[in-house]
Amino acid sequence: MPKARKSRLAVALPLLAAALCLWVASAAGAATPKRIVALTPFAANTLVKLGAPPVAIGQTVGGNERFAPQLKGVTVLPLAHPNGPNLEQLVSLRPDLVLSTKTWAKGNQAMQNLGIRVVTREPVRVNGVISKTLAIGRLVGKLPEAKQLVAKMKEGLGKARQGITKRPSVMVILGVGHSPFTFLPNSWGGDLVRKAGAEVLAGGLNSGSGFQRISDEVVIAEDPEILIVVPHGEPEDVPAITRYFENDPAWGATKAAKEGHIYISTNNSLLQAGTDVGKTIEEVRKKYLHNWPG
Amino acid sequence: MTRRLIVLASLVALLLAAAIAELALGAVKVPPGEVLDILFGSGKTGPNHQIVESLRLPRTVEALVVGAALGVAGAILQGALANPLASPDVIGVTGGAGFGAILIIVLFPEKIALLPIGALVFGLLAAALVFVFAWTGRNRGSIAKVVLAGIAMLSLFTAGTTGLLAAFPEKAPSAIFFLAGGLTSSGWESLDTTWPYFLAGAVLVVFLIRPLDRLALGDDVAASLGSRPQLIRFGAAVAAALLAAASAAIAGLLAFLGLVVPHVVRMAGRTSSQTFVVPASALGGAALLAGGDTLARTVRAPIELPVGPFMVILGVPVFLWLLRRAL
Repeated sequence: MPKARKSRLAVALPLLAAALCLWVASAAGAATPKRIVALTPFAANTLVKLGAPPVAIGQTVGGNERFAPQLKGVTVLPLAHPNGPNLEQLVSLRPDLVLSTKTWAKGNQAMQNLGIRVVTREPVRVNGVISKTLAIGRLVGKLPEAKQLVAKMKEGLGKARQGITKRPSVMVILGVGHSPFTFLPNSWGGDLVRKAGAEVLAGGLNSGSGFQRISDEVVIAEDPEILIVVPHGEPEDVPAITRYFENDPAWGATKAAKEGHIYISTNNSLLQAGTDVGKTIEEVRKKYLHNWPG
Repeated sequence: MTRRLIVLASLVALLLAAAIAELALGAVKVPPGEVLDILFGSGKTGPNHQIVESLRLPRTVEALVVGAALGVAGAILQGALANPLASPDVIGVTGGAGFGAILIIVLFPEKIALLPIGALVFGLLAAALVFVFAWTGRNRGSIAKVVLAGIAMLSLFTAGTTGLLAAFPEKAPSAIFFLAGGLTSSGWESLDTTWPYFLAGAVLVVFLIRPLDRLALGDDVAASLGSRPQLIRFGAAVAAALLAAASAAIAGLLAFLGLVVPHVVRMAGRTSSQTFVVPASALGGAALLAGGDTLARTVRAPIELPVGPFMVILGVPVFLWLLRRAL
């Protein structure tokens, strides 16, 4: 190769490489969303942990979502059927990404029609927390941070599942008014309690939604050693729902009632996917299953 | 004549007021001047532009179209069946549409975009079944047969809807909005799907106005004037089914509107002539739904409530006032 051509190449190649790097960086920068709206506590809390806090968070009407303290003061979008957030309010925030859930399928469609990028990244089971955290990290340009967070989560999960001393039979009940629904093993709460070492009873029922209306007769027939009740309703109604299920005479014949093992979970940790999954499993084991060593 | 003109003029004024309120008010404050600028194409682009152009404008048009369609559907059914209690319920449309929508919510929640199609298809299917039973066998096309077939079909589909909700109670919150009747800000999508049904229904109605006036004189007199009462009744039921099913696909179940608005305009205009009642019901229905929807969107903003109860709140006092004066 002639010397002059060689030197031209020597100049051109680094320039080309630099231009390519700049283009890739600017493309990545353009694609990285800055104004993110998180409609679920999992997405909101994950974004906080990744260092990409959302500009607004969703809150169901009368809901008791578990948000990280860092989200205090962030704009709250009340969520209600059928769309989820009020679309006018959402548009006024000029979001370039909305992390939503399938619950708001109709609203998601409407948001997309408005040109808003909508992504659903909500874990429905415990293992999903890992993949969804990585997915959110990738979406917001924080993959290294997501990997670090996942490593911590895995460590926490591993610790939380060590030394299970017994595997009691458990029914997890969602109390909607006076109507009991059972958490199925494919629900967040059902899977979490199973991971905590319980044998989750569901009377042979199944449903894609993870919940099924259950008759008290099935509760008696299954005769669980432990009953965990998650009261669901407006905050002011929760105490009454709690009292009703704590004293439900229909359950009096179960081992759980006889041995005083009917527990109430009011912090939504069994209802909503959380980033603190290891801590939640540890809590379930210590408070309800009593299978934590020592 | 003067009275009718006054009523029509008042309805036009009400309609304009309701449409302006629907465009100007919402969860986000947009100054009225900016709303006008956006509507006339001179506004700045940005969130407010998108709110007015992509959310409020299609919703206002939907409210006007659906309100007018339901008002007209009620008017022609009450005329065709000579029954003051007739509404789209009576030909099974409401029951069928409710069942179709809940079926989508329960069985295909991930395909929620199909909800209007489900409501439309089952609304028309219910009406078709009513037509089959009412226009075959003995006394076909008689008023009693149409009404009874309609009530039977309404009961059947309502039972199906209740059964689905009882079997899948966790889906009830998603279903309530549809069953209570409510518009959603889904852009032009719903109208894109349903406009042919509105158009077909409206064209049929135009051709039915005079025959319906003749039918009001009684079947025998109408027949002696060259009309075919059964055919008119059938045409009116088909038009009402098209209008009501397309309306249910967009706004859920709003039976009250089709029942009450024609009575209100009849009492206000002191005439039952369809040449007055049909256009007046269209104007009144459109005004009532747009007004009700403005309230539903703003009373607890940013939460949007179903419009059905608000229409009742707005419509019943007027209805009772007129009823007291008329009877």
